[in-house]
Amino acid sequence: LEKKYVMGNEAITRGAVEAGVKVAAGYPGTPATEILDRFVEYPHVHAQWASNEKVALEVALGASLAGVRAMAVMKHNGTNVCTDILMHLNFTGVSGGLVLVSADDPGGLSSQNEEDSRILVHTYANLPVFDPSSALEAKAMVKEAFILSESTRMCVALRPVMRVCHSRAIIPFENYDPADAPLAHWVDDRERYIMSAVEVRELGGIKRPQARHRWLNAKYREIQTLFENSPFNAIEDGEGDVALVGCGIGYSYVKEAQAIIGSRLPVFKLCTLPIPIDRTLRFLKGKKRVVVFEELEPVVENLIKELCQEHHIDVEILGRSGFYPSDGELTVSTVIDALRRAAPSLENNRPPKVRRLSIDIPVRTRTQCVGCAHRALLYNVKRIARKQNGIVFGDIGCHDAGAFKPLELQSTIYCMGSSVPMATGAFFAGEGRPVFSIIGDSTFFHLGINGFINGTYQGATQVVILCDNGTTAMTGFQPHPGSGVNFYGEISSHVDLVKLGESVGATVFTVDPYDLDATYETLLEASGTDGLSLVVASKPCFLRASREGINLFEPLDGVRVDEERCNGCMMCINDFGCPALVYDAEVGKVHIDEISCVKCGLCINVCKRGAII
Amino acid sequence: MYANEVPLFKMKKDIIIAGVGGQGNIFAGAVMCRYAIEKGYNVAGTETIGAAQRGGSVVSHIRIADGPIHSPLIPAGTADVLVGMECLELLRNFHMLGPNGWYMLNLYRVPTVYTNLGIDRYPTMDEIFESLNLHALKGVSIPATAKAVELGASQTTNMVLLGALVRADGFFNREDVRALVGTSSPARFRSSNLDGFDAGYDFRPDVSESVS
Repeated sequence: LEKKYVMGNEAITRGAVEAGVKVAAGYPGTPATEILDRFVEYPHVHAQWASNEKVALEVALGASLAGVRAMAVMKHNGTNVCTDILMHLNFTGVSGGLVLVSADDPGGLSSQNEEDSRILVHTYANLPVFDPSSALEAKAMVKEAFILSESTRMCVALRPVMRVCHSRAIIPFENYDPADAPLAHWVDDRERYIMSAVEVRELGGIKRPQARHRWLNAKYREIQTLFENSPFNAIEDGEGDVALVGCGIGYSYVKEAQAIIGSRLPVFKLCTLPIPIDRTLRFLKGKKRVVVFEELEPVVENLIKELCQEHHIDVEILGRSGFYPSDGELTVSTVIDALRRAAPSLENNRPPKVRRLSIDIPVRTRTQCVGCAHRALLYNVKRIARKQNGIVFGDIGCHDAGAFKPLELQSTIYCMGSSVPMATGAFFAGEGRPVFSIIGDSTFFHLGINGFINGTYQGATQVVILCDNGTTAMTGFQPHPGSGVNFYGEISSHVDLVKLGESVGATVFTVDPYDLDATYETLLEASGTDGLSLVVASKPCFLRASREGINLFEPLDGVRVDEERCNGCMMCINDFGCPALVYDAEVGKVHIDEISCVKCGLCINVCKRGAII
Repeated sequence: MYANEVPLFKMKKDIIIAGVGGQGNIFAGAVMCRYAIEKGYNVAGTETIGAAQRGGSVVSHIRIADGPIHSPLIPAGTADVLVGMECLELLRNFHMLGPNGWYMLNLYRVPTVYTNLGIDRYPTMDEIFESLNLHALKGVSIPATAKAVELGASQTTNMVLLGALVRADGFFNREDVRALVGTSSPARFRSSNLDGFDAGYDFRPDVSESVS
């Protein structure tokens, strides 16, 4: 036994390894990415970055039915993508332990939305969910999830929130022997694995979906009973008739909050779904008011309210439904405020004084890195879109920052792969303005490819600009089917984007985004072409290349602004927006920040007055 | 300090490092954590790294104690030390400091997209100091980035600040932290990181009631 100071994500990886996982598949997405990334240290496990999360879960399911322990790893948006397979594997059950890790991002710190994937997995698919309160508990829960999954033949989900994934803690690494893990042994079980509208003879001819639904409902109740004794739930006695329920990270904040203000309200640590009925009823006994702290929706709060109604219990249940904010990440401050309002006896338990500055603090938004090829490409797309009054549909990836100030190029950002079909729809709406979409390579392989094939097939005139940097850059350089390497960095097959586009029937163009003039001309030609045009803009990620000591361009000796010529028109900042270009309001001119400038010299061509030299 | 009648800890040190992507915030925090673990303390923390590579704000929470630590996030109004690697980012996290907290400000300003466009105004250094000094907290400001540039490696700003922090805070021991900087640094950055650390230590920061 060894102790290591690691991220919650790595604790989850280690838990799965100690549990004997054989196959792990996922798609990168903050805050879940490192869970799969870390399998690189355990080559006896087959790990893979799948092209999307649904594929990942299906890979893991196939491995589970073949008898081994398997895991699928994703962020909440990915779990949405998985909904279809999730709503089938819940009916069939599994064979080898199958664990779905769905990491949530309350507050949307690194996401396009904020949501609570417990609803999809538990409330919709009726599957059990563990909601870890810490990195240490997450590791214990993964191991328990495999055991529970195998004993009940149910897929079990772990739902860590970002503060668990990205927390760091001292974690024990226990010994394991890969030889202890179950071996593959496929057993046909058509009664379960054939999900189709076929009559079930033994049940009087009802259809298979209804029969499996009956099984699922019984399983749910069985697991609910098992959770009466779950080590992840615990009642902690305290004083008074106002009590607290802490779910997942909410429990940790409750403990911290009580320590800070010196209160001793009773606490129910409740980190499983379904919730245990008897244990919950025991906790509610003699209470007047209970506040539930959970991320992010009132899931447990509503379950306890249902229980109170069914059992005619007169306890006021408060929580996410409005007693404290119904959106955003929980904090200790939120908990302290809520429990002082819930328990008037805490009037003298003062919260920490929070100092406020008397000064306006500007927000800091992100943009592309200095030197990034996306910036050069976005600059040209903006020129073309402006010239032709086009509408630009955006997608997920580093290039999405082109939608923010200063460029404000893309008019939409939704979910993975949505840019191309939305442009198709706008075209057929008869909008009349030319339509463009900007999508990255990893997103293209994820779900973008479906809309791309559809757009070509339907005959929409639209331009698809594929920002191909050869990797999933935003999450830390995970490979994808176009990278030419697999999870382990070994040479693999790779999709040729040009051939793919041609075989689908698109008119394909290629550009080097660093070549500003040629890119402009090609984009102009593409936008004048009937049908779907695919512009493949291939250039490795600058950040990754610079870390690996690879030069994507010959750095100039120096880049500077000729103050005589600069008239402060701001065109370089508005249309190009490199963070190394700094506007000095006092002199009304732009200068180049030497610390951040990487001397790519692209901005020299952007200034029409020739003031950047 | 915590109000609990029975204190959970004899020793608690909650440190926040606030900066912008690419400043080496996480690495500096990792060295502090390793030090505390070697000294036998419980350590926990979290960081906001979502946009770390693209110029967004990056905040590390480092929690060191001789007892159990529940929340990976330091609660607002309770932090012991705030290191601002960039001026705005210090201001943005100032509310985290507790009654006995102190701060270290790197005299380095990174404009935002909005200040660059003239939509927001980046406060002047006079305004920043005036605002900070309205609060009776100890603080010190040092030109860490300027020193790092002078040493020929702007990316060692984090090590200059770490050196200064170790000098200013008795919890840390110079030789032990320095050794950890050496063993934690990739080979090609080792000597420049150590130079940065030493230069920071030599600043002899005077943590006083007001900064200027």
